[in-house]
Amino acid sequence: MGIRRRSGGFVLSVNPILCDGFGHCAELAPDLVHLDEWGYPIITTIPVPLSNLAALESARYAVRGCPRQALRIDRISDPS
Amino acid sequence: MIALTSPYLWYTTRATGMVAMVLFTIVVALGTLVANRIGGTIIGRFEINELHRSMSIVAIVFLAIHIATTVLDSYVPTGVISIFVPMTSIYKRVPVGVGAVALDLILAVWISSLLKVRIANTTWRFIHWFSWLGFATSIVHAFLTGTDSRKSWGLVLVVACSSVVFVAALWRYLGRPARAAGRTALSPLAAPPAPPSGGRTTATRLGSVPPPPPAAPRPSTGPFPRGPQRPSNKKGRR
Ligand code: HEM
Ligand code: SF4
Repeated sequence: MGIRRRSGGFVLSVNPILCDGFGHCAELAPDLVHLDEWGYPIITTIPVPLSNLAALESARYAVRGCPRQALRIDRISDPS
Repeated sequence: MIALTSPYLWYTTRATGMVAMVLFTIVVALGTLVANRIGGTIIGRFEINELHRSMSIVAIVFLAIHIATTVLDSYVPTGVISIFVPMTSIYKRVPVGVGAVALDLILAVWISSLLKVRIANTTWRFIHWFSWLGFATSIVHAFLTGTDSRKSWGLVLVVACSSVVFVAALWRYLGRPARAAGRTALSPLAAPPAPPSGGRTTATRLGSVPPPPPAAPRPSTGPFPRGPQRPSNKKGRR
């Protein structure tokens, strides 16, 4: 363990049953989340590299800031 | 318990009670702003949410001091049990008892929020409703118990705080956005959703019932301010 190279990526995913369209996620992670015209999140499903620390941090803020606990960060391992 | 009779304990009880009341007013008002989906332009919605969360901690700290100094002050016989159990205080039995009810309600709200990730969302929301009751009982407590809260500035403060929360409650009830499915159906843009564009998912499509077709196209007046960067998934409609 210890220092490990960050390989692979992550996807921010929303549980649509829980989500109530508060839209906090789009403010906290504007690069990952857009809102549709009802205020519900549209999140990119293309994995973001874990080395993109700014994106990862914004995703964590979004998870924490969601009033419905509807967001989750899924790790996608490198297909190597 | 150590006998502490300094009048400063009593002064601290009074001062922190007032401050806690003002802080809880702000917390309830901020919570209403979150629930009614305010923000997104000048101040972010997430910022209001963060303020609501952090201010509640500050309010609870003042509340803790308010209660600790009450019990420590051996000039008035209250006792540790009367913090939580109503009607067990010898001093001002009913007024302090109402305070205990308020505390129990506020504690339930607080603890359920600490456990929010572990408990069902519906449970959390049900318990969070207690905050209205908790605030109302704490105002009654403040008015009944208080040394300062029945005259001049103290009374003004009590009336101001209760008015703010009363207006917030009215607005929460009248101005609340409809829940997920209803709002979708009510949306002026409630045309059938665009076909899924590659690589994206929308919660709407997966999580709510299909909206009925709108009677006539209307301009968008939904509760959501249109963000600056909107997805370009409106292609093929209108
Ligand atoms: C739960 C929320 C509570 C709030 C918001 C609150 C707030 C207040 C306020 C605004 C006052 C009036 C201060 C004054 O006018 O002098 C007051 C007085 C008082 N509170 Fe509380 N309180 C709460 C809970 C409690 C509890 C649980 C106890 C019991 C341990 C308690 C004991 C007292 C006492 C003894 C006084 C009277 C102080 C005096 O004699 O002037 N309070 N409270
Ligand atoms: S913050 Fe949570 S509830 Fe709000 S839109 Fe995003 S996922 Fe949905």
